Parts: sequence; structure tokens; C-alpha cells
Amino acid sequence: MTTNFDLKSEKTMGLAAMQGRGFYYPFDLALDSNERIYVLGRGHDYDTRGTRITVMDMNEEYYGTFASYGQGDGQFMWPSSIVISDSDKIYVSDEYSHKISIMTLEGEFISSFGQLGNKDGQFDGPNGLIFDNKNQLYVVDHRNGRIQVFDESGNFIRKFSSQGNNEGQLNLPWGITYTSDDRLYVSDWGNHRIQEFSTDGEFIRSFGSKGEEEQNILHPSSCAVDDLGNIYVCDWGNHKLKVFDKEGNFLCSNRGEGSLSKWAQDFLDTNVQEKEARLKADLVFELESFKDDPFTESSHIEKLFWCPTSISFHNDNLLIVDSSRHRIQVFNTVQKL
Amino acid sequence: MSDKNIMLMAHLMRRAGFGASKDELLEISKRSYEEQVDLMLDSEPNYEVSKHLMHRYQPDYGSPMGNSSNGASWLYKMIWSDSPFKEKIALFWHGIFATGYAKLANGIVLHDQIKMFSKLGLGNYRNLLIELSKDPAMIIWLDNCESHKGAINENYGRELLELFSMGTGNYTEKDIKEAARAFTGWTIANKEYMTEKSQRDSVWPYGRLAMHFEYKEEDHDNDEKIFLGEKGNFNGEDIIDIICKQKATSRFIARHMYSFFVEDEPPVPEWPYKEPNNPEAIDALSEVYFNSGYDIKEMLRFLFKSDFFKTEKVWNKRVKSPIELVAGTLRLTKEFYRPEKFQSATNSQTSFMGQHAMNPPSVEGWHWGTEWLDSGTVVERVNFSSSNLGNTNHSGIRKIIDNVRANTNEIYSPEILIDLLLQELGEIIVSQNTKETLIDFAESRLNDKELLTDENLSELLKLVGAMPEYQRA
Repeated sequence: MTTNFDLKSEKTMGLAAMQGRGFYYPFDLALDSNERIYVLGRGHDYDTRGTRITVMDMNEEYYGTFASYGQGDGQFMWPSSIVISDSDKIYVSDEYSHKISIMTLEGEFISSFGQLGNKDGQFDGPNGLIFDNKNQLYVVDHRNGRIQVFDESGNFIRKFSSQGNNEGQLNLPWGITYTSDDRLYVSDWGNHRIQEFSTDGEFIRSFGSKGEEEQNILHPSSCAVDDLGNIYVCDWGNHKLKVFDKEGNFLCSNRGEGSLSKWAQDFLDTNVQEKEARLKADLVFELESFKDDPFTESSHIEKLFWCPTSISFHNDNLLIVDSSRHRIQVFNTVQKL
Repeated sequence: MSDKNIMLMAHLMRRAGFGASKDELLEISKRSYEEQVDLMLDSEPNYEVSKHLMHRYQPDYGSPMGNSSNGASWLYKMIWSDSPFKEKIALFWHGIFATGYAKLANGIVLHDQIKMFSKLGLGNYRNLLIELSKDPAMIIWLDNCESHKGAINENYGRELLELFSMGTGNYTEKDIKEAARAFTGWTIANKEYMTEKSQRDSVWPYGRLAMHFEYKEEDHDNDEKIFLGEKGNFNGEDIIDIICKQKATSRFIARHMYSFFVEDEPPVPEWPYKEPNNPEAIDALSEVYFNSGYDIKEMLRFLFKSDFFKTEKVWNKRVKSPIELVAGTLRLTKEFYRPEKFQSATNSQTSFMGQHAMNPPSVEGWHWGTEWLDSGTVVERVNFSSSNLGNTNHSGIRKIIDNVRANTNEIYSPEILIDLLLQELGEIIVSQNTKETLIDFAESRLNDKELLTDENLSELLKLVGAMPEYQRA
């Protein structure tokens, strides 16, 4: 299919860092009403300093970090998703502790809710989070294969979907997004598809099929939808950003165009030997071993997406959390002439 | 009494895998022993937990930033594989071609090296040595990227001969230098940037980068060389061709195979001075090496079907390496049936026992056999085995307990209980002294089948985990 629609890389933000400016395996981000960006770092088991929230803005101004690894108030073990309410409260899901934590924008713990289980208000691995325009919080309860809905205080309201692979069912879902026409889109990771629901939980449609071709999806982690209904998918398993029209037809894709962020440039400017060696290096090349193996290709070619975990719109920009490269790639859409 | 065929299968699975429970052994034993060997050698493994699922929860297992998560990800492949032989082969080669994080500061290239061992480790030895010589981790580990035309670094040439193919006493210092000359120009792409990042342990700006081989014709010494008595304008492949033709190479590889799969040999540095335990077996394996055109798989097919492997004299005699002990125990307990938060911490247990995967103490790797055991590591090994086997919350242990209870319905005695339990744990063979100790315990706590409670059986399982025979394969 030919299209006059394309993606353009705007810039890259961030730096791999377990302390100070930067992130370690970021999984998600959210923006507050002052357009500050809160980047949720997953960290990893052997260096838990990366489990935290880094605050910055689109100009890569750095405002500090808060939260840490642990099971106490305001701490996380396996943080997965972050969202900010209209009242500027931060909500973070933790798929190990099975709870949602609520914090101020300054990182002060307010409260938490949830525990392991499959009853109403309980979770088995909560991850994707989103608010609708009625301030209802949708939580992807991924190992229970369902979506649970809460008020801002964490009181259970309703639930929908179940574990499975039929229409409307979910298999280890991950991200969720809400659109201005009151629809929910769930990244059905284990079923390799995007599913659309009403906010009441009524199944509307799904698209996507497992595979490595352009029209396929392999384990989607997140999606975003523009005003025209085009759907932007983090094709996590294929390490691509893919765009589909509102009928689910493939429009275009991008393998990643990471460049030096402001923080990365600052690092290299103060580490001159490494900068000079890097300037001489050929960082884009092809190898036979890359054939049919985008994971390996991404491990070699720095500019490519490597396990993108989250995508969201900010004004006209698409912010893609490029998790295994510890950065955010920023794109926008352009019309081809 | 246990069926001899099942016991032989258990021996095979301990050596070619990480052990098997009784249920698994019953399933395997539907085939003949020879059919099982062929199936193991010729099939590709499936993993109960896909790499996608593992990377979703543990992103660093695929893109490691430090020195441990690549080992953890490998350990969990050992646990989740339906045919762990491929991982065992990679472990075999990792022990010989030991390459470590300490110098590389890059887990991705080590991860890629282990993948290469899994892929090529059952193929032609010549091809394996060529790929090893092109492997970025090895090139940095043994400084071949610092070996240049007119200014050789002989580190790789030396270890290729001493530790990877022929063993000391079979070549001269001149041969080492000539080999090093032949491998000049074999380097990594972007060498300056990659070594700079390694030396500085730099994760910046965007994490670690994988590496790839590059041949630099202009840096290759193409002049004439004399190597092991042959003369020519040799390149690296020619050197490996000459090495592979040597009787010493066939015997060196045969002895490694015998030591890893059949019975512990002395550490490699002692080989020039100590005869093999079974010289006839080494001769026979050497013959297969040449007759098959250096085919590793055919050597192992011969080994597993040979009397010297099948004989009861070698059953349960090898000391398990820490990785074998931990992987085997976790396969029994099935405590990680899906990716879990603390699997990384469990992987660290192998380090406490003296074997940090992809971080060997030196280029010589680890000394195996009884050298795994000292007063510190034995405590770690026993604590790990006992606490994991004794945890009745683990699904694998629950199944073992259920099977034991189900099979003690008709007749019961402490002796029967001990036999059943040792069978369930994979046909563990114990000494008379150990058996009497276990029976004594059973008589004191489990003298009636009404006393087969979780708590009592847990205590008995902990005791089994502490017995010396559990530390052997």
C-alpha cells in the first residue's frame, strides 16, 4: 500500500544513567500540567539504583529524581507504568508488588492500593495506566487478563475483559491509551494485536497479527492514536514504530533514528577521549547475522529502537521510550509531497 | 528396586543435561537408550519461557549493563529448555574457552559468545576454532586486537595452542609466535571506540554495544611462516587447519570430553604429567575425531553409547559444578515456572559456590572435580540444595511429595520411603552409609505413613540435599 504519510525523527532525549541525569531501562513517561516529563526507570535486579523517576522537560532541562527501589511507601520493585491525573498526582504501577502508588509531583507518597489476587481491586501484575476524561483510572491487570477501573482515590468501580485469545479477551496485555472519542486501545502483548474497547468495556474491534512483516505486529507494548484515528504502535518484538490507519491498514514504520541527545553530547564533551574514538567509529553497518534478527541488530546499531516500551503524544510530537537504549526518541508525522 | 534402564537414562540426563525427575525419566524411557542419545544430539530445544517473555520482565537479560545478568539469562535457558543438552554443550566450551567480563566490561559480547557455542558447539571443530578466533569477546580477552603486523601480541597464539587445542609440550615458542603472526589483522570493527568503552567501563551514552569481527588485510603479516613443521604464507585459517590435523589436538579434545561427561580428570595443567584415567577411551575418541572429520557431535554420539560411559562404575561420581548444581536443583523444584523477580539473586548462588558464569578466574577457566569443594563452598552448596529441596511450596517438590504419598498406599516402611524419594529426585545413587542415615531419620520421624506430612517430608528432603551424593552427578 502506498501512502503519503511518513515519520520524521525530531531528536533524542536522555542518557543511560542509574543516578543523576538519565535513566536505566525506562519503561514509561508522563507529562504534568507544566509540561514536565516524569520518566519511570525500571532499573534491574543487579543495580537497583535505576529504579526511580527522573524529571525533565522537552528541552532536556533536568529537575531531579525521586523514588527508589524497595517495598516501602514511595518505593518500587518492578515499576511498569506512570500516569498523571488532571489534579497533578502521579500514579505508578508495580507489577511485582501488585499495587498502584499515588504521589505528589514532588515525589511525596500519598497512598497506594492493590494487592496480589484476582478479586475486585486486587491485581496480578498491574502495568498499563490511563485516565479518561471523567478522571477514572484504567489499570491493565495483566496476568489476570483484564482491565480494572478505579476512581482517583483507588476505589474500585468496574472491570472488563478476561484471559484468552478470543475477541475482547487479553493475553498478558501491557499498555493502554485513551482517545478523545472516549475509546480505549489495549496493547494485547501475548496475542500480538491492538484491541479497541469502549470505556464500558465493550469490545469494538482489533487488528494486528503475529509476524515480522510490515503489516504484522510482534508483542506490542504500547500505542497512541492521533486525531485522524491513525494508530502508532510500539512493535516491541520487531523493535519498530509502526503506524496503521483507523481501519488497521499498515501505513509506515520506522526502525529508529536515535541521535545524540543534549545530555549525551554533554557527556562526550567532558570525556574527550571517548568522544574522539566515537567520531572515528562506523556505527551503522549491516551484517549477515542481522538477517531476521532485529534484536541482535539493535544490540549492534545504536540508533535503532531496542525494545520500545511506551509511546505517547505531546502536542505534535511522538515520545517513544526506547527502553534498552535508555532514552526517548522523539518523532513527528509529516505528509509526503 | 529401580529399573536399570531408567537408572542408565538418569545417568545420561545428569551428564548430558542437568538431571531429570522420575516423571521425566519415565517419559524418556519409552525410547531406547540409543534412540534417546540420537534424539538429544539431533534435535533443537524449545524453551518453556520464550526469550520475549524473559526480556519483558528482565530487560537487562537481553541487553546486559553489568556482569551478572547475562549469566542469569543463560541459567534460565538451562532451566526452561526441554532439551538442556545444547546449554550443557555451551557450558562445556565455556569451561575450555573461558572468557571473562573482568577485561571486557561488556556482557553483550559474552552473551553472543555463549550463543555461538550453543550454535556451533556440536559441529566441526575446525569451524568452531575459526569462529572462536573471530569472536569479539575472545579477540579482546586475549588481545588479538593488539597484535599487529611487525608487532605481534602472542597471547592468542599461545592460548590457542596451550588451552584450546593441543596442550603444552606439543609445540615450541617459535610456533606460538608464528601462529600470532598468522592471526594479525584479525580484529574487531571500531576497535578504538569499543576498547575505549571497555577500558572505561562506559555505558554511555546509550548502554553497551555489541561487537563484530573485522579482518584488516593491511595489518596482516602475509610473509612466510613455519608452523609445526609446515611452511607457507599462512593466515589464521591455515594455522587452524594444521592444528586440527595434529594427534595432540584429538587427544586434548577427547580428554576434555571424557573429563566433562564421563569422570573427573586432574586439572588441565597436570595433563602433561599424568596419564588419562582411561587411555583406551581417549584413543577411541581420538579415532572418531579423525574418522568423522573433526565432528564433535559424532565424538559425543560415540561417547554416550560407549561402555566406558554407560558403566555403573562412573555413575554419580563427578562433582557437579556450581552451575550444574543450581540449574539441576531448579529444574527439580520448578520454582521458576515463569520469569520472577528473584531469579537474578538465585543466579548469584553459583558465584558464592565459586563459579561466576562468564567471569572465570583466569584464561584457564575453572578447575573442576573435587576442586569445587572447600569448606566455604560446601556450606553454600549444602545450604542451597537443602533449602530449595525442602521448600514444599515449589511445584516440583509438591509433585514429588504427591508421588511419594501415592506410591506408599499399599505397603510402607522407612526403607521404601527412602527408595521412592531417591527415585523421584532422579535416581540418586547413595552409599550404604548415607542410606542408613536417611533410614534412621525416617524411622525417627516418618515411621508410619500417617506421618508423611509436608513438614516431615520437607525435613527429609533437606537431609537429602545435604548428603554428599547430591553434590555429584
